[in-house]
Amino acid sequence: MKNRFLFPCIILLALYSCIERQNFDQYEDLEIIPTVEASILYIESPERLLNEIPGQDFYSQDFNFDGFSVDAFSDRVLDGFVFYEIENTTSKEMEATVEFLDEGGNTLDTQYFHIDPAPTPLVQLQVAYGIGTGRSIEIIKNTSSIKVSVRNLGDNSSVSNLPDPKIIFRSSGQFRLRLK
Amino acid sequence: MRQVKLVLLSWLLGCFFITAQNKQILYDFTEIPQALMVNPGMSTDFQWYAGIPVLSGISFQAGSSGLTVNDLFADDGVDFNVKVRELAIYGMSTRDELSGTYQVELLNGGFRGRNRDNFYSFGIYNEGDAIGYWFKDYAILAFEGNANQLGRKFDLEHLKTRGEMLNVFHFGLNKRVDGALTIGGRAKIYSSAFNFSSTKNKGYFVTNEGQNNLLANTLDADLELRSSGLNEIEDALDNDTSLLPGILTRRLFFGGDLGFGIDLGFTYKLNKQTVITGSLLDLGFVYSSTDVKNYTIKGNATVEGIEVILPDAFSNSNADFWQDLVDEVDALVPHGTNDKSYIYFRPTKLYGSLRYNWGEPSNPSMDCDCNYIVSKRKDYTKYANGVGGQLYMINRPRGPQAALTAFYLRRFGRALALKTTYTVDKFSWSNIGLGLNLQAGPLNFYVMADNLLAYRNLADSHYSSFQLGLNIISWGKK
Repeated sequence: MKNRFLFPCIILLALYSCIERQNFDQYEDLEIIPTVEASILYIESPERLLNEIPGQDFYSQDFNFDGFSVDAFSDRVLDGFVFYEIENTTSKEMEATVEFLDEGGNTLDTQYFHIDPAPTPLVQLQVAYGIGTGRSIEIIKNTSSIKVSVRNLGDNSSVSNLPDPKIIFRSSGQFRLRLK
Repeated sequence: MRQVKLVLLSWLLGCFFITAQNKQILYDFTEIPQALMVNPGMSTDFQWYAGIPVLSGISFQAGSSGLTVNDLFADDGVDFNVKVRELAIYGMSTRDELSGTYQVELLNGGFRGRNRDNFYSFGIYNEGDAIGYWFKDYAILAFEGNANQLGRKFDLEHLKTRGEMLNVFHFGLNKRVDGALTIGGRAKIYSSAFNFSSTKNKGYFVTNEGQNNLLANTLDADLELRSSGLNEIEDALDNDTSLLPGILTRRLFFGGDLGFGIDLGFTYKLNKQTVITGSLLDLGFVYSSTDVKNYTIKGNATVEGIEVILPDAFSNSNADFWQDLVDEVDALVPHGTNDKSYIYFRPTKLYGSLRYNWGEPSNPSMDCDCNYIVSKRKDYTKYANGVGGQLYMINRPRGPQAALTAFYLRRFGRALALKTTYTVDKFSWSNIGLGLNLQAGPLNFYVMADNLLAYRNLADSHYSSFQLGLNIISWGKK
C-alpha cells in the first residue's frame, strides 16, 4: 500500500525536476577590460634655478620608467591616453620635449611643448595611443624610459611678479587593459 | 601565487557544491539516528543502531543568495557581459554569499547502556565547508578600473572567505533525565586536511586629485589570507597527483591539524503533547600548525608617480627614480608570507524547535512483521502528527545567519514517516522541503530534499540540498 503511494511520488518528483538548457560557452564571451589611471611624472623647478643656470639648456633627464614595460601591463594594454599639463608662473618663455625611449635608448615618440611666460594659461595636451589614433600602442608597450628636456628661451635675470614662481610639469596615463 | 589560485579554486568548488548547513528536515526527525547529530539531546528509543559505512549519512547542500546558474548561463540571447555586469557586479551586495557544505559519514553507531536512560553514539564523518561573500568592490575595480572615479574608495574589507576539509571523530551521550527532559552532549576531535580563511581584512584603495601631480593613488591595506595544509597539496597537484590520496588520508586521520569541539542539546516536554528542543553544535576550534602559509599586506602609501623637485634632485641625478618609487611603496606597504600557527573556530550552529503533537499514538507494531521495533520506554509516545517551528542560526564571517522553519511531521505506523518543511532564509522565501523515512524491519532508509519548487529548473535555484542514509536499527526484542 505504501509502495503504491511512495514510488509514484518519487517518479513524479523525478519527472517534475528538470534543468533548463544552459549555455556555459557564454563564459568565453566574457570580457574584463578595466580602465586604469595613475600619475606618471612630476617635475618642478623654481624660477631662481632658471636664473642660476646660464644658457638655454636648462634641464635634461632620462628617467627609467618600467611601469609600461612590466608584463602585467604590456601584455594586457589595449589603448589609452597620456595627459600632460605644464604650469608656468615664471617670467621665462620655454620649450619642453618629452621623449619615450625604448630599452636601447631609441626614441619611440616625442611631444613638444612651447610655454609662454607668465601670465599664461595651463598648457594641456592629451595624446592617444592605440588603433585609430595615429599612434601605436606598441610605443607604450616598448617604453622603457622617459626623457624630459627643458630649454629656457628667456633670460637669466628676470623675476616673475607672481608669488613663488615655478615651472611645473605634470603627467598621467589612462589605459584600458584586457584581463580576459 | 599558485597557492592563492588553489584557495580560489577550492573556494569555487566549495561554492559549487554548497551551502548553508541547515538540516531543518533532519532536525528532530526522531525516527532517524542521524538526527542525533543535529541534536545530541534528542528523545530517542533506539536499543542500538549501526549505520552502513559510508552510506549511513550523505548530505550535500548548495546555494547562492545573489544569483543562480540560470541567471548567468541561460541560453536567452542576452549578452553575457551585460548579465555579468547587471546581475553580478552591480546586482549583488557584499552580504550575498556562495557557501557550501558536504558531509559523508564513514562510520556511525549507537547503543543503549546498562543504564537504560543512557544512549551512546559514536562515529567518524568527513566534512567540507566553504563560504565566500561577494567581493563587490574588488569585482568593480577589476571590471571597471579606477579611471574617472575620483574619490571613490574601493573597500578591501569586501574580501571575506573561509573553507576547510576535515574528519570529525565523535562520541556522544544521550541521557533521559526524567520523563520530561532528555539532554545530550557530544565530544568531537577534528582532524583537518586543510583550511584557509581571509576574514578580517581592512582598508581601501582610492584615486584622488594629486597634491602635486594630476592624480594620487592611495592604498591603505591590512589584508591577510591564512592557510594550512595547502602547500603539500599544491606540490602534489603540480608534481605527482598520485600522492594526493595519501596526503589527505594521513591528514584526515590525525596526521594534520587537530582540534576539539562539543555539541550540546536537549529535549523538554512542556506537557504530554508539546515539546521544546534545542542544540548547539560545533562549539570548537582547530589549531593550525602544520604546513602553514599566511599571506599579508599591511601599510599605507600614496603615489603620485615619479616626483622630481629641483634643485634637490640635481644632487642625485643618476638615481633610478622609478626603482626608488617601487622601493618606497614596498617599504610603506610591506607584503610577504609567514608560517605562524593560528587557531580558527568552527562554524557553530544553533537549533531550536517547538512542536505540538496530536493524533492517535502510533502503534509500535503496526505494519511490521518483525520483532525489532518495540519501544520499552513507557514515556516515549510517538503521535501520528507533529507540527511546529524551528530556528536555525550559524555564525558566519559577516555575523550570524538565521533561518526559520515551519514543519509538519506525519507518521504512518512504524514503517513510514514524512516530514515537510517550509523555510525562510537569505537564500529563499519559498523553500519547501520533504523528508521520508522508511523502516523495513531493521533496515532504515531516509532521503530528504530541499527547495522542491526549484526542481522545475534546478539551474535557477538559489539553494538545494540532498540527504540520504541507510541504517540498521533495533528497538530491542519484544
